[in-house]
Amino acid sequence: MFTPGSKLFLGLTGFAVAVSVIYVALVDNSMGGAVTLLFIAAGTALLAGLTLFNRDGDVAVGATDAPAGAEQLTASLWPLIATVGFVGIVVGLITHPIVFLLGLIALLAAGVEWLVQSWSEGASSDNAYNASIRGRLLQPIEFPVLALVGLGVVILSFSRVMLAVQREAGAIIFIGAGAVVLLVGTLFALKPNLKKTLVVSVCVISAVGVAASGIAAASNGKRAELVAANAEDHFSHKDCGEEKNAHFDGTAQGTISLRSSVDATVELRDGKLIAHELGIDKATQTITLTKSNNATIIFRNKDNKEARLTAYLGTKAVQTGVVEEVLDCTQMIGKGHEQALTFKIAKPSMASVKPYTLTVPGLEGQSIEIMVP
Amino acid sequence: MSTKIRRITAGISGLAATAFLASCAKNAPQDTWQPKGSNARTIDNLQEPVFAIAGVIGVIVLCVVVYCVIKFRDRGQAMPEQTHGKPALEIGMTILPALILAGVGVFTFRTVFELAKTSDTQMVVNVTGQQWWWEYDYPAQVELGITKPIITSGQMIIPVGTKVLLRETSRDVIHSYWIPALNGKRDAVPGRVQTLRIDADKPGIYAGQCTEFCGLSHANMRMETVALSKEDFAAWVANQLTDAKSPADKTLAKEGEGVFLNQCVRCHQVNGLKKADGTPAIAAPDENVWAGAAPNLTHLMSRNTFAGASWDLLSQKCRADVWGASSETVGKKYLAGVSEACLNQTDLRRWLRNAPAMKPMYSDPTKLTPTNGKYRGMPNLGLTEDDIDKLVAYLSTLK
Ligand code: HEC
Ligand SMILES: [Cu+2]
Repeated sequence: MFTPGSKLFLGLTGFAVAVSVIYVALVDNSMGGAVTLLFIAAGTALLAGLTLFNRDGDVAVGATDAPAGAEQLTASLWPLIATVGFVGIVVGLITHPIVFLLGLIALLAAGVEWLVQSWSEGASSDNAYNASIRGRLLQPIEFPVLALVGLGVVILSFSRVMLAVQREAGAIIFIGAGAVVLLVGTLFALKPNLKKTLVVSVCVISAVGVAASGIAAASNGKRAELVAANAEDHFSHKDCGEEKNAHFDGTAQGTISLRSSVDATVELRDGKLIAHELGIDKATQTITLTKSNNATIIFRNKDNKEARLTAYLGTKAVQTGVVEEVLDCTQMIGKGHEQALTFKIAKPSMASVKPYTLTVPGLEGQSIEIMVP
Repeated sequence: MSTKIRRITAGISGLAATAFLASCAKNAPQDTWQPKGSNARTIDNLQEPVFAIAGVIGVIVLCVVVYCVIKFRDRGQAMPEQTHGKPALEIGMTILPALILAGVGVFTFRTVFELAKTSDTQMVVNVTGQQWWWEYDYPAQVELGITKPIITSGQMIIPVGTKVLLRETSRDVIHSYWIPALNGKRDAVPGRVQTLRIDADKPGIYAGQCTEFCGLSHANMRMETVALSKEDFAAWVANQLTDAKSPADKTLAKEGEGVFLNQCVRCHQVNGLKKADGTPAIAAPDENVWAGAAPNLTHLMSRNTFAGASWDLLSQKCRADVWGASSETVGKKYLAGVSEACLNQTDLRRWLRNAPAMKPMYSDPTKLTPTNGKYRGMPNLGLTEDDIDKLVAYLSTLK
């Protein structure tokens, strides 16, 4: 168990960490002092590890705990990981904060694992017992962390793949991957006696496969369509006129999942524009919207000609003396398609010279007036 | 019985009696057992029998439990034979409650659908919640004399016996509109419009309370629905359609208008108010208040409560006269509004002196970073007593 010497150093470590947290929180968050305190913590932690490892240098204690000729212990990975972490910290200081952070995490994790492992290995002469007390202490942390990391890798990789392949292929891959997981899972469940190595190698190979395809996909970049959409910035090209616009109207969606709780639905049918307000059966040419509040309107095109719904939302001063009309609009959609439009009118109708309206550009004589009290 | 047990029993029965009597309070405006409109009655028609059924079952279960506890208490007798399961009883005791619940369910569903009906709506009001008051706007409805939209706050006015559809939404967080005497609750959710139907049998003032926790002053987010006879409602509408008139020159109220233009118009709209250059003064609550709105004060003195219906604009005596009036006279008394003699100067002045001290609001100008410099609620404007005198004189003209 813990030797008196290690208790002293562990206590000092804990104290230094706690003080550094308090220091950052209360005294000064510029980190200078905290770094000093953390170095002290690192130093005492190292000493605690050493004293634990050599049982305070007390030969008598060590001799009874671990008699000569005890089984050879398995090699430890932690020194290696700690070194990687340390290198990460140094490299990270020069290159990128992320590397530094990963190095720090690796170093801390390796430190804790190493400490507990060396402590547990000296706890008794029974290796199995030692392994079990190590597990009891650390597995409640290890398992969730590993699961999180594993899931994270799978999600991240898979999503990179979905962004890289064509839309149609994406659907197929999704269905295919899901079906394979289901099949293999069912197989494992039905045949509990399968060789463990087989199960493990299937899992490892698929995990590596997913990660590898994720990396490949990520280095390949997103599919052209997404890159183009990103580059052209769809909505900065919002064009609310009569003409179809290559950018803004390029990939108009025809359906929306929004079905209820909107302020009004506006329909274009037989060249006429008609509005229905939520909860009111009668059709109307005037809708009343609450000031300074996001209102959502659904627009449905039932005519053959492509159309968009444009909202006139008053004017705004762009420079002193220069005012500009404020417009917002849906994309251009064809027959049977629908879009939603969300906008906010901050000033009452009386503040606007021209009434606020909803119109279809190019369609004369049809307009829904928006009243804002 | 030991004196200790006796004392505990007496204490418990005392508490129970108090609770029982409290439930009979006469003056309980938010009592859910006193419906004053058809929707609330629909709910009541469901809850009374359900309450009765649940009550009877509750009493039976309690009696059986008490009986078993006493009858089979440990008197040192031998352990009875242990058996596992009694299928007939178990199945019976599953089916019976299921049947009772199914019965209740049928009526519940019927009630839910009945309450959701909107097809025979006769009037529409948009109801918008924000921290911590309600705004009402009435779309133009010519049949009802509403020739252009009306906007008010705190108290919603409806004509009696009219099926009114509330279209609820919120400008910030979720609130919930609830006038227990007229209908159940409906959440007002930002970005969504949800409907609730109400109607009132008789003229009267029906109190309610925001019933979805909405932050600091949730408790001070109250509201009233005022039902007026059709004629009185028409009179109310006619008054609301008018703009505010500027007070006569050289009066205290005129000076108050000046203070209002300086201090208040950046948040509060008064329809008809003109700036010194003769152009309409348009409020900009969207630039100053987090929710984007502040109460429209054009007809402030036509309502008789303020700041989330949590304080009276009427002095105590005048309030008792209006709120205690019979359904025949309440309309006229309500329409009289707040006269100078009846104005609750104390609370209105307190509000103008330091609103957040009266109603907790996030309106400390040094702590507005989370809201991009906008206030939630009305700030303390540091007005002088002189300015307050002038403002009160001006506000009194907003009938
Ligand atoms: C920064 C914006 C702002 C300014 C400036 C402001 N108010 Fe307010 N005022 C509000 C808000 C928001 C409320 C609603 C508070 C609530 O009830 O929670 C309110 C409420 C009120 C009410 C109650 C109205 C009602 O119907 O409930 C009155 C009266 C009032 N203010 C008067 C004034 C006067 C007079 C001034 C100028 C001296 C003023 N306010 C300046 C934001 C403002
Ligand atoms: Cu609320």
